[in-house]
Amino acid sequence: MTSNGQYQGSLQYAVDIVMCIDVTGSMHPVLGNVKKSALLFRDRLESVMHEKGKEISRLRLKVIAFRDFADYADDAIEQTDFLVFPEQAAVFDDFVGRLEADGGGDAPESGLEALALAINADWERGLDRRRHVIVMFTDAPAHPLGSPASTAAHTYPPNIPRSMDELSAQWGYGRSQTAVMDNAAKRLVLFAPDISPWTEISEEWSLAMHFPSKAGHGLEEFEMDEIINTIAYSL
Amino acid sequence: MKRRGDEVGGYRLLTDPTNEGGANCMWAFAEKDGRQYFIKRFLEPKRPKDGSPANATARKLMLEECEEFEERHRSIMERLSHDMSGGGNLVLAVDLFHEGCTYYKVTERIETSSLEHPERLGSREKAILLRTLALSVQLLHGIDVVHGDLKPDNVLVQKKPGSPFHVAKLIDFDDSFISGRPPAREVIGGDQFFGAPEWRRYVQGDESVQPEHLTTATDVFALGLMIHYYLTGALPGHDDRFQFPADAVTAGEALRIDPRIGPVMTDMVRAMTARAPGARPDVAALLAALKDTDVCDLRSPAPTAEAPAARPSAGSARPAGSRVKKNLFGRIRGTPGGPGGTDGPDSPEGTEGTDSAETTGRTEPADPDRPTVSRVRINLPPPVDPGGRSPRTRGERR
Ligand SMILES: Nc1ncnc2c1ncn2[C@@H]1O[C@H](COP(=O)(O)OP(=O)(O)OP(=O)(O)O)[C@@H](O)[C@H]1O
Ligand SMILES: [Mg+2]
Repeated sequence: MTSNGQYQGSLQYAVDIVMCIDVTGSMHPVLGNVKKSALLFRDRLESVMHEKGKEISRLRLKVIAFRDFADYADDAIEQTDFLVFPEQAAVFDDFVGRLEADGGGDAPESGLEALALAINADWERGLDRRRHVIVMFTDAPAHPLGSPASTAAHTYPPNIPRSMDELSAQWGYGRSQTAVMDNAAKRLVLFAPDISPWTEISEEWSLAMHFPSKAGHGLEEFEMDEIINTIAYSL
Repeated sequence: MKRRGDEVGGYRLLTDPTNEGGANCMWAFAEKDGRQYFIKRFLEPKRPKDGSPANATARKLMLEECEEFEERHRSIMERLSHDMSGGGNLVLAVDLFHEGCTYYKVTERIETSSLEHPERLGSREKAILLRTLALSVQLLHGIDVVHGDLKPDNVLVQKKPGSPFHVAKLIDFDDSFISGRPPAREVIGGDQFFGAPEWRRYVQGDESVQPEHLTTATDVFALGLMIHYYLTGALPGHDDRFQFPADAVTAGEALRIDPRIGPVMTDMVRAMTARAPGARPDVAALLAALKDTDVCDLRSPAPTAEAPAARPSAGSARPAGSRVKKNLFGRIRGTPGGPGGTDGPDSPEGTEGTDSAETTGRTEPADPDRPTVSRVRINLPPPVDPGGRSPRTRGERR
């Protein structure tokens, strides 16, 4: 940690955020909002932190856009690396700007694969305090992990857990040996309908917050503030 | 997750759960038997799912976590229930239970007035506000409990219509710990603005600060800063090189106390924010000083030769040089929602150290009709009723 005697300045606070965004056809009416929010996110976060007199030493964002491996393998996942802000803001803006709601076939979609990729992302390990937030935007249920129609896709990523139990073990709990992420840092924020698997995840997984979209309305609106609260109110 | 209209643990949610104001919970207002409550959904720990095939080791570890969580909450609750005198302004849990995999905690709902400008209160009102706050903290310290997250956000300022007085209701005991036995460095709660020097160093991994150094004196540091805030509307100033008061103090720099504060409170705030925990007075000394409400008077500062800039500018109560942002405490405000408070007496009774047990641990009677699906209620210690009078009666006494 910090070397002895160095007490000036704030704690070094690293914030990493992975946004998993469902970009299948049904998201068409709401993707515009999600994109707009993603693009405005950084400014909003900055102004809230500023109001509170606090600072983020290092902010990185990563986007995982997903559709459906079982429907069309080639565009089932599109993702960025962790992008460092503000240096790589243009890359982020460009990627998000080009997302289009398209394809996916019928519900369910490959949301759990996106979540698995997010959990296994290359999270920051340094600095004094970390906050690692996964945000899921979807209007649909998800294919069960390990379903043959998905795993057969030639683009299916290696090392994706083959069952929900396995994924749950990767998420872990306070003293689990199998958790992939830093327990003190991680949060999961779900903007998803109140259906399987999202309901179970928010009930059974630690550090998960579910803001259910209203039935029949898809993902009509959400507040960036719910994500920002997970960052601005720690320490 | 539940929504408005749903029931959890027999409480019907009146609002959609939100994470506003906290990173470690979701909360909502709720109603049961005609009373309103504040209900908090913990993000962790989680109980293992019933009948899950999860392996035995995982189950065991998860249950261990849960036991520690319950034990920590129970031990604080038990300590608090042993002496309820003056406990009326500590907003304590009335219920702690799990439903399914999730823990919930319930306190009474506090209707708050928005007090955007505490500094505009009169001296007597300020003294009463500070005394109710100090009494609550003293009560905690008397039983060796450190609040652990003292800051204006965790004080709900309450004013009942018809009463001229503001009362400080202390909330959020989730970061509380027994003096000298704080949580680990990575998980201890607290706030950088109000944190004491030893707390900052502990968090930063300074091995010269050990758990036993984090005592009730860390609360006293925060309380000193809060007094300055309630008197003037701002934190003490300090050199721009430092972002937080504790850092300035650690470096041996004196905090700049607003020159309008009188000598008694200036000395008090300075002593309470001393670098060495052992040099800080205890809350009793603060309470003694506050007996004389004049100590809360603000005087117009005499222009001093060397520091005319220290005079607060018009429209701003903060001394020049303070780096505290104007909106820093914008969250001191009323809570959302309509009327229907279930709160206790708002009289300055608390200032006499005899506030009622109105808000203290009251267990709910068992409800035979309640669905019992995998919900377990953790028995909180029974309510203590000092003097054998009902809290309601005492509240109505005046
Ligand atoms: N009894 C209550 N009545 C009304 N509102 C309350 C009550 N308790 C808490 N609140 C409101 O809910 C918010 C969150 O509560 P609390 O501080 O307990 O949560 P927290 O997540 O533990 O916060 P922190 O980040 O400080 O640890 C508070 O800021 C306050 O506005
Ligand atoms: Mg709080």
